[in-house]
Amino acid sequence: MSESYEYLFKFLVIGSAGTGKSSLLNNFIGNKFKEDRCHTIGVEFGSKIVNIGGKSTKLQIWDTAGQERFRSVTRSYYRGAAGALLVYDITSRDSFNALANWLRDARTLASPNIVILLVGNKKDMEEAREVTFTEASQFAQENELMFLETSAKTGENVEEAFLKCSKTILAKIETGELDPERIGSGIQYGTGTSKRLAAPKKPARTPSDCACHV
Amino acid sequence: MLSEATMENRHGPPGVNSRSLSAAHSAADLEVLREIENVYFQPSSEFDAGRYVLEHAPTTSCDEIEQVFTKLKRQQQVVSGKALHLISQQRDNCDKEFKEIQNIREQLTTTLQTCQKAREQLRAASNHLTISTFVILANFRKRQIIRSVLKSLELLRSLRSVETDVAELLLKKEYYGAIELILKSKKAASSHKEYTCIADLATRLQDTLDMTEEKLDAILASICYRFDEIIFRKLRKAYALLGKTQAAMEQLHMHYSSAVNESSIEAVKNYVGDTIDMKFQDMCMSVQPTKAPICLLNLCENLFLIMKSYYLLVDWHAKYDGEESIPISNNVFEIEKNVSREYIRQKLNAGLVRIWHDVQAKVSTFLKSSGLEEYPFEKFIQMLGILRKLTQVAEVFCGDKSDLLQDFIKTQSVLYIKNYHKGRMEELKLFLENEGWEQCPVKSTFNLLNLQEFKQFKKYLSVRSDTSLVKTQSDGASSVHSQDDSVYISKYFKQNTSHTPFEIFRCENITNDDIFGLEPELVSDDSDDEPEELKRDFVDENDRLPNESPSKVKDSVIVTNTTLSVLRHCGQYLQICRYLPQISLEVVMLMNQLFDYYFFTAHLFFTVDLNVASTTLYTPKLNSVLKRIRNNIDVANAGDVDKIPCPDPPQHLNLGIEESLHGLSERIVAVESVIFLAKQYEILQPYLESIVSSHQRMILEYFKDNTLAVVQDLRIPVYMCSASKAVDARTALIAMSQVKWDVKNVAVEHSAYVDMIIRKIQVFALRLENIATKVTLNSEILNSIWSTLSKFIVHLLVEGFSNATKCSNGGRGLMQLDYRQLFLKLEKISGLKPVPFQDYVDKYVKAYYLPRKGLEEFVLERVEYSNKHLMALVTCACENKKDRQALSAIIESRDSAV
Repeated sequence: MSESYEYLFKFLVIGSAGTGKSSLLNNFIGNKFKEDRCHTIGVEFGSKIVNIGGKSTKLQIWDTAGQERFRSVTRSYYRGAAGALLVYDITSRDSFNALANWLRDARTLASPNIVILLVGNKKDMEEAREVTFTEASQFAQENELMFLETSAKTGENVEEAFLKCSKTILAKIETGELDPERIGSGIQYGTGTSKRLAAPKKPARTPSDCACHV
Repeated sequence: MLSEATMENRHGPPGVNSRSLSAAHSAADLEVLREIENVYFQPSSEFDAGRYVLEHAPTTSCDEIEQVFTKLKRQQQVVSGKALHLISQQRDNCDKEFKEIQNIREQLTTTLQTCQKAREQLRAASNHLTISTFVILANFRKRQIIRSVLKSLELLRSLRSVETDVAELLLKKEYYGAIELILKSKKAASSHKEYTCIADLATRLQDTLDMTEEKLDAILASICYRFDEIIFRKLRKAYALLGKTQAAMEQLHMHYSSAVNESSIEAVKNYVGDTIDMKFQDMCMSVQPTKAPICLLNLCENLFLIMKSYYLLVDWHAKYDGEESIPISNNVFEIEKNVSREYIRQKLNAGLVRIWHDVQAKVSTFLKSSGLEEYPFEKFIQMLGILRKLTQVAEVFCGDKSDLLQDFIKTQSVLYIKNYHKGRMEELKLFLENEGWEQCPVKSTFNLLNLQEFKQFKKYLSVRSDTSLVKTQSDGASSVHSQDDSVYISKYFKQNTSHTPFEIFRCENITNDDIFGLEPELVSDDSDDEPEELKRDFVDENDRLPNESPSKVKDSVIVTNTTLSVLRHCGQYLQICRYLPQISLEVVMLMNQLFDYYFFTAHLFFTVDLNVASTTLYTPKLNSVLKRIRNNIDVANAGDVDKIPCPDPPQHLNLGIEESLHGLSERIVAVESVIFLAKQYEILQPYLESIVSSHQRMILEYFKDNTLAVVQDLRIPVYMCSASKAVDARTALIAMSQVKWDVKNVAVEHSAYVDMIIRKIQVFALRLENIATKVTLNSEILNSIWSTLSKFIVHLLVEGFSNATKCSNGGRGLMQLDYRQLFLKLEKISGLKPVPFQDYVDKYVKAYYLPRKGLEEFVLERVEYSNKHLMALVTCACENKKDRQALSAIIESRDSAV
C-alpha cells in the first residue's frame, strides 16, 4: 500500500468496559455499527490516515479492553501514546466514576505529555443519561482534558473527537511543546517527511562474556 | 268539288245578271256575248280595259265612235245582265256552299281542340313517365360516380392518417397490425396512382414504414433489457410480415451486443463524475474504491438482466419455434424457411456463449481497473461473492465454466490475499513491537474454536486428541452446492420474476455464507452457548487460589494479545479459503507465514541477551527453521521489498532486571504462546489438509513436522537467557577454581561453591514463584525452566571442572560429591526427578577413570564436550605423556573432521 503521511500518532482508546471504545474506533475507521459486540479481548488495533491542517497524519489507534482482568495486558500498550480518548458511557455513572483511575493510568504509563480527550459516548441514548454534560465538562476542566460527547451508533462527533485530539497534538508539536524526536513521544515522522526518524538501533547481541561453553 | 263549281263560275263573263238576260234578250244577248273580244276576259290586274278601248277606238268619225260606244254599251249590259243572272243562278249554291264551309270550319275547330287536348295530355303523360325516370337514372349514376370519388377521397384521407394510426397501433403494441396497415396502405396507394397526390403519399408511406421499422427496431432493442414474450411474439409476427425474420434476429443480436455495452456504461456511469468522452475502461478506473462493490453489483445486475432476456429468448425459440415448424416438404419456399429457422437456432445458441463472453469481458475490465486488492476484507468477499454468483449464472446461462473469470478470480484473489496479508503482517509487526508479553487471561480450556472467527469451522475441527476423526466433508459438499446453485440460479431466469440473483448483496445483513451459498452453520447446542462462552472466556482472577502451587496448574493457556490476533487472522484467512477454495494453498502458506513471523519474533526479542554460546541450545531442526524464516525476513533492515520487515525490538521490555529473572515472565509468555499457537495450528492441520489438493498436503506436513513440531525447542535458548543469569558464571568459576582438586583423600564435605550455587538457585526458585502468581505456569513449563537451569549448571560444572589442570582421584571424588549434592538440592527445589543433563557432568567426571582405549573412544565420540574440556580431561587422566599426546592429536583433529 502506497500510503504516505507526515506524522504518525499513537493513540489510545481507554475507559471502562462496555463504554463503546471499539465501536468508536470502528466507526472512525469506517466499519458498521454492531449492536451487540463482544468485549474486546486484550487490545485491538486500527489505523487511519487523516488530514489535519493540511498535514496527512496516520493515526495508529490501540483499542484496549476495558475489563479489569485485561489491565495487565493493556497497560503495555500505553507506553508512548501521543493521544488518548478517555471514554465513559453517559448512561453509566460507574463508568464516569472510574475515569480518575483510567486517567491516572494514562498519565503515568503513557507519555507525560499525552493529550487526552474525554469522550462521553452513547449520546444517542439521551433517555438513559446518568451523567450530565455539565459535570463531565467540569471533570474535564479540572483535569485539563478536552471534552466531547459522541455517539458511535450515529457517528456523531466520532471523527471530531479523533481530529480534535490530533489537532491539539499537532499544535503542540508546532509550538515545540512536544518533540517528535524524543523517544516515547508517540509521534513519528512518516514516509511523507524528509526528516525521518532513524530506526531505533537494535541492541546488538552482547558478545558472550561468559567463558563457559554450553 | 264545291270549289270547282265556283271556279267555273268565275270564268264566266262578269257584270250581267243571268236572270234578266234570259228574261229579255236571251238569244240576242248570246250573240253579243260572243262578239266580245276575248281580251276583255283577261284579269283586270293584267289588262286595263279602259286603255285598250281608247287605243282601239276609231279616230275617223264620231259615228264610228258612237257605234263602238253603243256596241260597248250593249256589251256591258249583256255582260252585266249575264253576270247578274249567273250570280243569282249561283246564289243558293253559294249559300249552300257557305253553309258547308261554316260546317267544316266548325269541325276544324273541334278537331283542333281535340288535337290540342291530346297533345296536352300526351305532354303530361310524357312528363310524368319518362323524364322523372331518366332523372332518377341520371342521379343514380351521378351518385355512383360521387361515391367512388368519395371512396377514393376517403382512402386518401385514411392514407394521410396512416401515420397517426400506425403510431396508435404501435402504442397499443399491435405491431403486426401496424405493419399490415402500412403495407395495405402502400398497396392501396399504388393502385391509385391516377391521383396526383398519391405520389407524395406513397413516399410518405414509405417514410412511415421506415419509421415504423425503426420503432420496431427500438422495441426489439428493448427486448434485450427485458424479454417480454407477448411483445416478442408480436414483433416476430410483424417482422415475418415484413419478410425480415432473419434480418430481425441478426439485428437483435447486434442489439444484445450493444445492450451489454450500454448497460455496462450505465451501471458505472453513476459512480463516475465526468463521463464525457470516457471509455468504459477509463470509467472503471475512476470509480471510487468505496463505491466499487456497489458498482460491480449494478454492473452484474444490469448484465444479468440482459443475459436473462437472452436466455428467455433462446428458451422461447426452443419452446415455440417447433410449434410452427413445417413438415419437410419440397416446397422451395418452405425449405428456405426451414433453413432460415435452423440458421436462427444456431445463431441463438452461439449467441449465448458470445454474450457471456461480452459480459465476462466487461466485468473483467471493471475488475482489472478497480484495484480490487485494496478493498477491505468484507468488501472483497462481497465482490468475490458477486463474481462467484456470476459464474454460477454463466453456468446456467450457457454451461460455460467461466474459465476466464475463474482464472481472473484466482489471480485477483492471490493478489488480494497477498496484499491483505501484507497489511496483516504490518499489523502483526506493530502488535509484536507493542506486545507487553503479558499473559492474556483466557480460560484454561481455551482454544481457537472459542474465537468467533472460527465459529463456522467448529464442525470441521476437533480439539480432541484424536484429530484424525475430523470430518472432511468439504469436498463432497461443494459439488452438492453447485448442483443446488444451478437450480437456484435457474429460478432467476424465469420470465415472471423481477428478482436477480444479485439482490441478496443489497441486503445489509447478508452474511458471507449467504453470499457464497454455503450451507448455514448448524446451530447446535454447542454453538448456542457460544456467545456466553465467549463472554466468560476468561478465567476470573479469583478463580485461581493465589497460593496454589504452580506445579499443580495442569492446563495453563498462555497466550498474548498478539497470539489471539494471529489466531483471528487465521480465522479470517480460513474464511477467505472457504470462499476461494482454489487458492487454499496460497492462503494456508500465508497463514503459516503469520506463525513464522510470530515464532521468529519471539526468538528474536528474547534471545538478544543470550550470553552463552549456543551449540547445544539449538536443535538442528530449530536452527534450520529459524534459518528458513530468517531468509524471508529483512533482518538487515535494508528495505528489501521482497522480504518482510524485521520487527524492531521493543524498548518497553526491560530484560535486565534481576528481580524479575531478566524478564523470565515475558520470556515464558512469549515462548509458551508460540507453543500454544503451534498447537492451535496443529488443530487446524487436518482441516487444512482437507482444503488443499492431495498433492499439496506434503507441504503442510512438512510445515507441521519441521516448524510446528519444533517450537518447543525454543524454550531452551530463551529460558537459558534467564537461567544462565541465575548463577553468575564468573563468580562460580572463580569459586570452583579455588577448590583444590589434587587432594589425596576423598572429602566428606562438598565444596563451598556448591552452596553458593544452591543459594542462587533458591533465589531463582523464589523469584519464579513470584512469576507464577502472574503467569500460569504448568509443570511442563516449570520443568523446562528447571531443566534449562540444570543444563546451564551442568555446563557450568563441566566448565569449572575442566579448568582444573591437576586432578587426583580424590579430586574426582570431590567433584562427584559436589555435583551430587548440587543435584540433590536442585531436585528438591525444582521437583525434577531426576534432574536432567546430569549425565553430562557425570560422564565427564567419570571419563577420568576410563582406560586409555576407553578414553580414546570417549574423546572420539563425545562431541558434546569442547576441545578445551577434553584436553583438560586428557591432561588430568593420562599420566602417560605419549598417550596424552596421541589423544590430544585426536582431539585437535576433531575440529578439522567436523
